[in-house]
Amino acid sequence: MVFLRADMCPGLDSDLVRDLRAADVKTVEDLVSSNLEDLAHRCSVSYKALYAIRRVLLAQHSAFPVSGADLYEELLSSTAIISTGNPSLDKLLDSGLYTGEITELSGGPGSGKSQVCFGVAVHVSLQLKQNVIYVDTTGGLSASRLLQMLRAQTCNVEEQMEALQRIRVCRLFDIFALLHCLHTLCSDSSSSSSVEGGAVAAAVAAGGGGVEGVSLQQASVSGGSVKAVIVDSVSAVISPLLGGNHTEAMSLMIQVAGILRTMAKDFNVAVLVTNHVTRNTSSSRSCGTDVQPGLGVSWSHIPRTRVLLERVEEAGTGIQPSVRSATLIKSSRQPCFLREEFDLRFWSQTKTSTSGKRKREESDS
Amino acid sequence: MVMSSHSSFTVKTKTRAEIKLASEERIKNMGESAARPGDRRCLKDIEPRLFSDDGRPEQGGVVELYGPEGTGKTELLYHLICRCVLPKSAGGLELDVMFVDTDYSLDMFRLVSILDSRLNKALPKSSPSAGSDEEALLRSCLSRLLVVHCSSSAQLLLTLHFLENSFSSRPSLELLLIDSISAFYWLDRCEGGPSFSKQEEKLSKCSDLLSRLLRDYRITVFATCHSIRRVQTGLSSSASLSYSSDSDRSYLCRSWQRLVTHRLMCFRQEAANNTSDEAGSSIQQRIQQVFRVHCISSFSSSGSKPYKTNSFYVTDAGVEFTSV
Repeated sequence: MVFLRADMCPGLDSDLVRDLRAADVKTVEDLVSSNLEDLAHRCSVSYKALYAIRRVLLAQHSAFPVSGADLYEELLSSTAIISTGNPSLDKLLDSGLYTGEITELSGGPGSGKSQVCFGVAVHVSLQLKQNVIYVDTTGGLSASRLLQMLRAQTCNVEEQMEALQRIRVCRLFDIFALLHCLHTLCSDSSSSSSVEGGAVAAAVAAGGGGVEGVSLQQASVSGGSVKAVIVDSVSAVISPLLGGNHTEAMSLMIQVAGILRTMAKDFNVAVLVTNHVTRNTSSSRSCGTDVQPGLGVSWSHIPRTRVLLERVEEAGTGIQPSVRSATLIKSSRQPCFLREEFDLRFWSQTKTSTSGKRKREESDS
Repeated sequence: MVMSSHSSFTVKTKTRAEIKLASEERIKNMGESAARPGDRRCLKDIEPRLFSDDGRPEQGGVVELYGPEGTGKTELLYHLICRCVLPKSAGGLELDVMFVDTDYSLDMFRLVSILDSRLNKALPKSSPSAGSDEEALLRSCLSRLLVVHCSSSAQLLLTLHFLENSFSSRPSLELLLIDSISAFYWLDRCEGGPSFSKQEEKLSKCSDLLSRLLRDYRITVFATCHSIRRVQTGLSSSASLSYSSDSDRSYLCRSWQRLVTHRLMCFRQEAANNTSDEAGSSIQQRIQQVFRVHCISSFSSSGSKPYKTNSFYVTDAGVEFTSV
């Protein structure tokens, strides 16, 4: 909803705005959908002038159709596939997280959602040298665990610190703070006044801090660009609302979804969110498992790719503490219900194996 | 309170507006040589396997694809896009398509790979040096598709007004796809406050405008609609008769419901291991997900309410129907 203002377009002066308001035309939508001949008569302006105003306002406020060929060209040049660092997960996700899309990890407590997020954050910041925004809504982010993962991959302290600096943390615990944070990230850098850079890792280690007021553009300026936004977890801030006013809760949820999608597309970042699971009550065991991602049906349309994480139990050896299975339950690229197993210790493995992998990558390229 | 996400981009949009006005002119000029909009062909044959013989969508028809997540709605839209934008030599209709993306669900890479495989199937490679030709052919197909992203129902309304120019000036633009029409349902519900008519105001304005566009320009609309409640679909085929259960009733505003001439209900069927009956063929061993789509037309020439059910599975080449 956009209200008519005097300075919006040439020809629309304050007198005309007042006349239009008197004729019950208050917003751009009202003006566009009203009968112009009738309106011109009532506001005693020329039809031609009103028509010109309508045309300019429409062009300003409507979305712009793009040819499929141009869109494809643009996507080809801008889309990046961000490796998660774990070959099994990459295989499942068709080589990684795609920028411009929302990927969801769901799983019960202890299924490794956060660990995967840490792993992705560390991989993106250390190996790909790109910035990561990590929105922590559960207080579950552990800087020492990040450091542990980093130490396993490099023993250069400077590199470790640089990587930590590239991981920017927003710590917040309710949906309004999340919306504020996401809006700030999406806003133009000119509008937000904030401190550039800053050792977030240190702030986190000290138990506070965040990236209040830093937009994605600003975050991008200080060396490397933001390629990944991680929200761990999105359900922690949304699910408490769902018991209350239903309409309001749904609306807030869709707002979060909307801004995540806009962010993914306009700033070309990969968005990774985590979600809890609920047990299936009905016979709809379509996933082949007895759990399904939480947040209900309206949220289910939001992520383009959904992965379900579970612990792996083997009949003979009992529970393997660090092995998790990942099942693809929604994807537009791969057949669904692909399943991969991976070890959570992967990201904190000793340096020899990862450097070997890096050597392989180098020889490939 | 709804924070409109595009308000923060006003600086960008103002400069964009000039480009848009210029392109509006360009689009107009493109269509000048062409015929009047009244000459639009009928899209009856867009996908005969979806509709019963006496219940295919006429000009001005609105088809709603309804179903929960992951039941192949967007995949069906890709199929329709391909059908329209492919050249006649490859079994297409060579028409222009407008895709209104409110969900940001259009996966261009997926669409391109479907187009690519269909082009390859229809036009076998004549020479190894035809690579650039193929590329050009793909581009020409893609240029028949117009994509527009909307992030609020107000923007959707304004955009539909804006698109009127395109419809009036491009007679080959016959198909409007909206994915999805229900994307802003909860936002509108909340924004409208306690008044029910206020909650539905935006969508009914969109519907009224659409109904005028349908009448004036004889276009056909396909729109997806998400289900908002967990559907208790009986997965056995015997339960397939309970299509119009309470939870599947449309929840969108009346003026939209009045527009809809066909409803395609999408379901996910229990994964079938159809490896045995096609043994020896190149069917992969992996479990094939089968989707079921049930079409209900609201009226037909014979007066009865015709319906048709078909199943499809999704391959690298897009939707493959299991029966004709």
